[in-house]
Amino acid sequence: MAFPYSGSILQGHSVLVTGATGGIGRAIVSNLAQSGATVFAGGRNKVALDSLVEEVAGKVVPVDYDVTDENAVKEVFRTIQARQSDPDVGNFVGLVNNAGEMKEAGLVASNMELLRLQMSVNFYAAYQHMQLASRLMVRHRKGAIVNVVSQIGEQGGAGLSAYSASKAALTGATKSLAKELAPFGIRVNAVAPGFISTPMTAHYTQLQRDDVYSRVALKQSGTPQQVADAVLFLLDQCAGYTTGHVLPVDGLFQA
Amino acid sequence: MAVKSTMSNQQKLVQAFCDALGVSSQTVNDELQYNTIREWDSTGHMVLVSELETVFNVMLDTDDIIDMSSVAKAKTILAKYGVSL
Repeated sequence: MAFPYSGSILQGHSVLVTGATGGIGRAIVSNLAQSGATVFAGGRNKVALDSLVEEVAGKVVPVDYDVTDENAVKEVFRTIQARQSDPDVGNFVGLVNNAGEMKEAGLVASNMELLRLQMSVNFYAAYQHMQLASRLMVRHRKGAIVNVVSQIGEQGGAGLSAYSASKAALTGATKSLAKELAPFGIRVNAVAPGFISTPMTAHYTQLQRDDVYSRVALKQSGTPQQVADAVLFLLDQCAGYTTGHVLPVDGLFQA
Repeated sequence: MAVKSTMSNQQKLVQAFCDALGVSSQTVNDELQYNTIREWDSTGHMVLVSELETVFNVMLDTDDIIDMSSVAKAKTILAKYGVSL
């Protein structure tokens, strides 16, 4: 989208986006780069990251790491810390926790490994990122964090208990950290997508899609761009009086 | 704020405490402890950590942040990160 806001805090500053090479991640990176931010784009697939850098107009710095590797995460933030003084990068003012894992499994067929995986990626990793990001933002008394949660986390979904629990945990942290970090000028919000057309949902049959659409007031899926636009809104100063909220991007979905 | 580039690490440390907590340099001595003055509460601690990381260009581990309960302790911890005081 063309960036419509004046006085963006993103212009000339830097932002980290995790899960940057997925469907929603790519749209978020593109939006933020167009807004004038330097985007540290995190992902595990180097080839996909390189392709993202080539595709997106603007300043995108690929960061090849696993969000669940605590030492790798620290190293990423050390790199951002060191590069902030580069005027081409600018102060670190934004974090988008977008990396996610969704494994569908009913309770009887689920196992602890699947639960741990989803908690690790969807919650623990996001939490560590917020912890380290906020320390960089405190220095400038300015920053915004946007967590990509899920309507499944908000409303629940059969066969998705582990996923919904992990996303609900992130929603809880979003609301608490909004209060904790407000004194430092750091806002924390979340975007809760519903059914979005991405590679993650590409395997849905028409029958499955129709079933989902029957529970969506707008009777269609959302697009990664619509989620990315919501993320951009919440990161930007135009949402400067908004913190601790979960913005649905779901066509009014009822699980 | 003093010009940090010409300061010794000891002076930078004291200045970091002053800037982060909004206290005078006379207040900052080895015996000063977390939660013994109004300014060094949990909010001040977060600002302090951020200030120390900026001034000394380090990134502290969470255990060290929790353990940083006094000025003296801050010196010991920073030494682990190669900051000589």
